[in-house]
Amino acid sequence: MEYAVWLGLFLPLAGFLILTVSSHYIGRRLTGWIACFTILMAFICFASLLLIYTHADMTPQSFTLYNWIPVDKIQAGFTVRLDPLSLVMTLIITGVGFLIHVYSNGYMEHEEDFVRYFAFLNFFVFCMLLLVLAGNLLLLFVGWEGVGLASYLLIGYWYHRPAAAQAATKAFVVNRIGDLGFLLGLLLTFHLFGTGDIAEISDRAGKEFAMGAPVLGLLTLLLFIGAVGKSAQLPLYTWLPDAMEGPTPVSALIHAATMVTAGVYLVVRMHPVFMLTPSTLHLVGAVGGVTSLFAALCAVGQTDLKRVLAYSTVSQLGLMFLACGIGAFYAAMFHLTTHAFVKALLFLSAGNVVHMMHGTTDMGKMGGLSKVFPKTHWLFLTGVLAMSGIPPLAAFFSKDLILEQEYLAGFEVLFFIALAASLLTGFYLTRAYCLAFTGKSRLEDHVLKAVKEAPPVMLIPVSILAFLSIAGGLLGFAFGKTPILEGFLAEVGVTLAEKEPSNIFLSPETWLSILIAVIGVGTAALIYTQWADRLRQPFAFLTRSFYVNELYWKGIVVPLKALSRFIANFFEPKVFDGSIQAVTYTAQGVSRRLQEVQSGQIRSYVAWMVVGTVILIVYLVI
Amino acid sequence: MTIANATQWILAIVLIFSSLGIVLARKPVHACLSFLLTLLSLAVLYLQLSAPFIAVMQVLVYAGAILVIFMFVIVLFQDAHAQIDKVQANSAPLFLTFAAGAFLASLGFLGSRLIGIEASKDKLFEGYGSVEALGKALYVDFFFPFEAVVLLFLIAVIGALYIGKKEI
Amino acid sequence: MDLSLIIFVSMAMFAIGIIGVLVRRNALIFFLSIELMLNAGNLLFVAFSRQWGNQIGLVWVFFVLVVAAAEAAVGLAIIINLFRSKQVVDVDQYNLLRG
Repeated sequence: MEYAVWLGLFLPLAGFLILTVSSHYIGRRLTGWIACFTILMAFICFASLLLIYTHADMTPQSFTLYNWIPVDKIQAGFTVRLDPLSLVMTLIITGVGFLIHVYSNGYMEHEEDFVRYFAFLNFFVFCMLLLVLAGNLLLLFVGWEGVGLASYLLIGYWYHRPAAAQAATKAFVVNRIGDLGFLLGLLLTFHLFGTGDIAEISDRAGKEFAMGAPVLGLLTLLLFIGAVGKSAQLPLYTWLPDAMEGPTPVSALIHAATMVTAGVYLVVRMHPVFMLTPSTLHLVGAVGGVTSLFAALCAVGQTDLKRVLAYSTVSQLGLMFLACGIGAFYAAMFHLTTHAFVKALLFLSAGNVVHMMHGTTDMGKMGGLSKVFPKTHWLFLTGVLAMSGIPPLAAFFSKDLILEQEYLAGFEVLFFIALAASLLTGFYLTRAYCLAFTGKSRLEDHVLKAVKEAPPVMLIPVSILAFLSIAGGLLGFAFGKTPILEGFLAEVGVTLAEKEPSNIFLSPETWLSILIAVIGVGTAALIYTQWADRLRQPFAFLTRSFYVNELYWKGIVVPLKALSRFIANFFEPKVFDGSIQAVTYTAQGVSRRLQEVQSGQIRSYVAWMVVGTVILIVYLVI
Repeated sequence: MTIANATQWILAIVLIFSSLGIVLARKPVHACLSFLLTLLSLAVLYLQLSAPFIAVMQVLVYAGAILVIFMFVIVLFQDAHAQIDKVQANSAPLFLTFAAGAFLASLGFLGSRLIGIEASKDKLFEGYGSVEALGKALYVDFFFPFEAVVLLFLIAVIGALYIGKKEI
Repeated sequence: MDLSLIIFVSMAMFAIGIIGVLVRRNALIFFLSIELMLNAGNLLFVAFSRQWGNQIGLVWVFFVLVVAAAEAAVGLAIIINLFRSKQVVDVDQYNLLRG
């Protein structure tokens, strides 16, 4: 059984290496086959692990490959932890990842550099698996950095486009800021506990520190900063909308389903420690809530189809952090799962449109595409309705669970913020759908004629995702008894904050959330089908996301650039080079002085000897 | 003030003046003659100090051989001696002066510690300083250094011959 | 017998010899000053041998004499060589061994 874990973990890495070394020899079909095959095999490994785990009644355990850093204070081994939480995450990663790999075969068929894409994609899956399977914080950090790197490589896939290259750099740099927090938290962990093993830390944190201990608060705060960077929350979210410069399957996989959820996963994984620090949890919840509302507002004003979905991702991640903030970790995980399905569905169906229209993502150039894309538009509509929270589609259950937990735990303000965010979610998603698919076409006729429906290789994965979006709610919801997912995850303590009412349809706030969702969807549908022409221009400050990017540019980047210019042009030549030159000159000067001693003059030598004699005499006499 | 003492005083004054003469002479021939005077008065001083053999050796070797060689070489270079004053000195005079002054000071310091050293109580044995006694000491007690010095002398002779040879 | 005078004279001769080495530029007088220093040392040896009452000092003087003779011979040969190559007797001009 141990071999299944290692096989599943390292198969994507093997795929990456094979594709890298043989990139010149193998053709496209073989590349696609290899890439998809590795991920499929990894999925099968983890699925079989799941079956074994549930049927053999196993307990969470760790497997160590080798002792990586056997230093006294940092007991970091290459340890993999197998428990329900990591199993859920690996299944999502490999499952959705496999579907996206298959989809990419169709999406990237016009590309020259086919192999590089799939190699990086495999590398990404490996790093993400490493992240979720890591039993050790240091190993988790390796995977953390790896997915950041993969994200950079894939966003900047079309590197000859300056916008893409800049977006990739921005993603990496903003991530790095978060990683600094993570690294400091990591060092603090080593300092406090002397080990990085997550299971051990979770065990000992409660025993060694009191509830609300400041040093633990600092630790969780630092880890949360890392999560903020990776999961694109305020104030480190600016990289995610720009990351849409990458290919759409990349956006689907990395920036919707898996990488950005790494932050949520971190918080859930370290939840025993987080539960001990209520102040940090409050901060988590507050950041999540504000971010979700903020991003939802920005999404309302976007003209680019993929950016709407990007801001939607930020908003939904905010909801997940909101759930974590009140201690309802299971709700966050459930929403993570359904969000993975639904967001991937949305992105891939949008990708269908983008691909068949040869790269256009501006909704101002779309419209009336439902006639051209008969199947895709149904898929997109499914995704829109699911995300908005219309029952009985998947995300309704998860989002409703979050709202309910907020309400029951008594966090009134956060509840209303989440409600407002849900309203706006329905609004902007439906707006996107209407602008793109309904109404009169804003394209010229001849362009419209050239566009046709996507090929099956791109449609089938999307359809599978649509099915999962519809049926996925059953994973976490069941009438009357404990749902499958909840029971599964309860083993590691990932539970809810408050007890779930037995029948949710009896509670008033459920009906309230359904009502809100319907209002959101309906309003947008109404506005953008009837009055699309008049209200097409959104507010500028919403489109520019409240000018946060400009703020960062003026406030941080420009001073930094000035500082580095100062250092490079003035400080470095004068001070660093100057000090080295000073050493040289000093040495030369001293040697020149010393050279003059050896003048070749006999009398000077005799004088030196006399001086020596004098010293000797004085020494001997005294 | 005994006779020995008076002799010593006179010889001391002569010695000092003749050594000053060596160092301060304008022409090198004059310096050489001053050297001769120094050597001779030293020989008398040795005699006064009960070392007859050494006195004779001094006259024979130093005054008879070394001084003569010096005179020969001075005469050989007689044209070059005057030209020295025409060229600027190359060594730093300040440093030389400082060294000389320091040395004088230290010698004075040393000398101040050595005042009042008494001689032995005249218990010289019979034949002290004579040829037989010294010869016995050389050939019996200090035979190895004696032979070594002889060898050194041989090497010096050969070396001097070789160095002074004119290249053909 | 009081040896203070001899010691004083010997030290004076030695000092004069050193000053002669430092001050004079003529190579031959330079050498002569060195011989003067050697003689000063000889005087001291004889005087202290007289004080101790054994002949070790005298034996030493004998050796110093021999060595001084050898050194004078070789040194003068060198000076002759130098004169042949440089055509001057000025010690300050013999500075080819500079660093």
